[in-house]
Amino acid sequence: MSENGRFSRRLVLKGAAGTMVLVGLAPVLAPGARAQEPVTLTVWDNWTRDVDDALIEQLDREFMDAHPGVTIDRIAKSFGDLKATAKLAMSSPDGPDLIQINQGMSDMGAMAQAGLLTDLGPYAERYGWLKKLPPSMVARNSLGDDGKQMGEGILYGMPLTAEFVGVYFNRQKLADLGIETPKTMAEFEAALDALLAAGEIPIAFGDLGQDPAIHTYGEIEGLYVDTKYLDDLVYGRPGATFDTPQNVEAAAKLQEWVDKGYFTPDFLGISTEDMAAMFQDGQGATMITGSWFSSMLSEGDPEQFGFFLFPPLEEGTNKPIVAGTSMAYAIRAGSPNPDLAAEYIDWLVSPRAVQGFADNGTVPLGVDADMATPGTLFADIVAAWNHINETDSAGHYLDWATPTFYDTLTASLTELLAGVITPEEFVAKNQADYGAYLAQKEASA
Amino acid sequence: MQIARKASARGGRPGERPWEGYLYILPGFLIYAVFVLLPIVQTARLSFFDWTGFTPAVFIGLGNYRALLDDDLFWIALRNNLTLIVFYTIIPIAFALMLTGLLTRRPIRGLNAFRAGLFVPQVMSMVVVGVVWKWIYAPKGPLNQILDGIGLEGLTRPWLGNFQTALPAIGAIGSWVSYPFAMVLFIAGVQRIDEDLYDAAKLDGANGFQQFMSITLPELRNEITIALVTLLITALRTFDLVFVTTRGGPANRTHVVALEIYRNAFTLSRTGYAAAIAVVLTVVTLIVSYAVITLRLRTVAEG
Repeated sequence: MSENGRFSRRLVLKGAAGTMVLVGLAPVLAPGARAQEPVTLTVWDNWTRDVDDALIEQLDREFMDAHPGVTIDRIAKSFGDLKATAKLAMSSPDGPDLIQINQGMSDMGAMAQAGLLTDLGPYAERYGWLKKLPPSMVARNSLGDDGKQMGEGILYGMPLTAEFVGVYFNRQKLADLGIETPKTMAEFEAALDALLAAGEIPIAFGDLGQDPAIHTYGEIEGLYVDTKYLDDLVYGRPGATFDTPQNVEAAAKLQEWVDKGYFTPDFLGISTEDMAAMFQDGQGATMITGSWFSSMLSEGDPEQFGFFLFPPLEEGTNKPIVAGTSMAYAIRAGSPNPDLAAEYIDWLVSPRAVQGFADNGTVPLGVDADMATPGTLFADIVAAWNHINETDSAGHYLDWATPTFYDTLTASLTELLAGVITPEEFVAKNQADYGAYLAQKEASA
Repeated sequence: MQIARKASARGGRPGERPWEGYLYILPGFLIYAVFVLLPIVQTARLSFFDWTGFTPAVFIGLGNYRALLDDDLFWIALRNNLTLIVFYTIIPIAFALMLTGLLTRRPIRGLNAFRAGLFVPQVMSMVVVGVVWKWIYAPKGPLNQILDGIGLEGLTRPWLGNFQTALPAIGAIGSWVSYPFAMVLFIAGVQRIDEDLYDAAKLDGANGFQQFMSITLPELRNEITIALVTLLITALRTFDLVFVTTRGGPANRTHVVALEIYRNAFTLSRTGYAAAIAVVLTVVTLIVSYAVITLRLRTVAEG
């Protein structure tokens, strides 16, 4: 009996509390007050590095201050986690308003085909985003009407920051041997020979993580092909092929570098993180990898390391550089607040945000040379990015070519590096993957 | 009255209510059904569809299974898993039997400390194990430094990056994390063996090794079978260790079936195809386990 009594008393209390909440809400729900109806903007992003995370949190606060009644509910996820959960979230009727998604057919392409993405074209026009996004970067965030052709059509994603591959170098080690920044491939190889003769490891390298090999290969391939070839290949245009003499030549060059001993000994057992740590520690005079390592390498003395773009065959010419953007912000089709979401994106590409990213050592798309301190690694990085844009020489991450190309390319590159297969066999293996994909794509079109 | 009815229900005598016993397992069964059986059925159903994970699923019958026959990567992965079975079963069980022989038949000072120390690999998280061994196997890691130090520099190599040693290197980690489980089972089993057997053997003049071979080993048959089946399943579903150390590299030399399922489901959005691989892995596991248990029952019948 007493049990029941206590139970009912609790119920009464609950009911009273509920009524009080309702009374409290009444003014908000009353007609006429609708303009101030609270809005929550849910955002999933990939800014997990502490300084970037803090910057976004700060930008969110400033956005909320400027928009009374708007709450930003932000969830930061690691790349893998975000990639794995984005599609389900985008297809959920009450999913996030904005998600940073990966470009490429298996992510952005699949979502566009399923009708989950909002056309950002009108917003890009309203806010002038196309002035901030170079044409090559617009292309890789755009898809045709049916979502099956990447490279042109509807803009579905707006990225904030740039990524590109180049050559980091240890200023002291190069200066000791009187090596200047190489302007041609021949000068670069001469520098590597000189470093080798002086007992240095010319290029810090590791293949256990498999990704550095793709970038090294991409840069060497860029010596022999142009951006049009890479566009056709990565966008899967009719007639595109991996089976070219240029790819055989690039593969042979990579093997030649292994044979000459340019890379860290036992590189097959060295992880990507160890590769960077070894280079930072002075084990290796150069390192060919992406701009995403610049903040880590600026942690100590920001002038200890420098950066130059992989030099072309002939001085003064331009070769394609492996380049892209970070994951792009996309608005979920069916989001109740697409306009507000677009305004949020515009805030993240505003001069205020650009300066913030530059201060963090991250390369924002609209970065200016004067945002970096002269003589630092970051100044070299910014100069390199501006050079890529001015000369329109952005190439591609080759692994975007087909959904399975990352696995095919990394596995065959490891075999190439280990000397298990010939350059011709390397090209044949990748063409088998690419040809099958293109045939299937054309059959379904 | 009450007691009598319950006793007879347990015996399942006709005319009584045999279903009453099932009520007791119902709560456990419901949880098992929702979290284990239902997902298995759903996975099996999914394996007949072409499904990206979020677009409408298209029924394609046995299409996924037909594609599997031509998928080189799947067969490479399955072969690697079968190789890993050696490292996950035979080696750790043999090692555990040896330790059991050493730790049970004679008094050793600090025995419990040894047992606890030897059990450590079992209680560590697989991710931690993977990270630690990745460091041990690194080109300039402890293993190569030791080889260097004792004049065996000819043997040093990037263990996880070398095409020949990568899979055995991962297998060795598997042996290291598997033996404690078998060891604990065996030590518990030995304590169950009748001391009279050993006394009789001693009277007949059997030495320690002979006692182990003629008494301990045969008496541990049941424990060995349990260890064999359990570790076999662990070998077939290996994922975390490979994911942390090599991700299947170099050039797929350590690719395993569970990694192939993960790759298809989460990287390539081929959810239906991933489900088909999972079904095949389940069937392979059932067949191999069934074979081991049948073989064991047959030897018991013959013995």
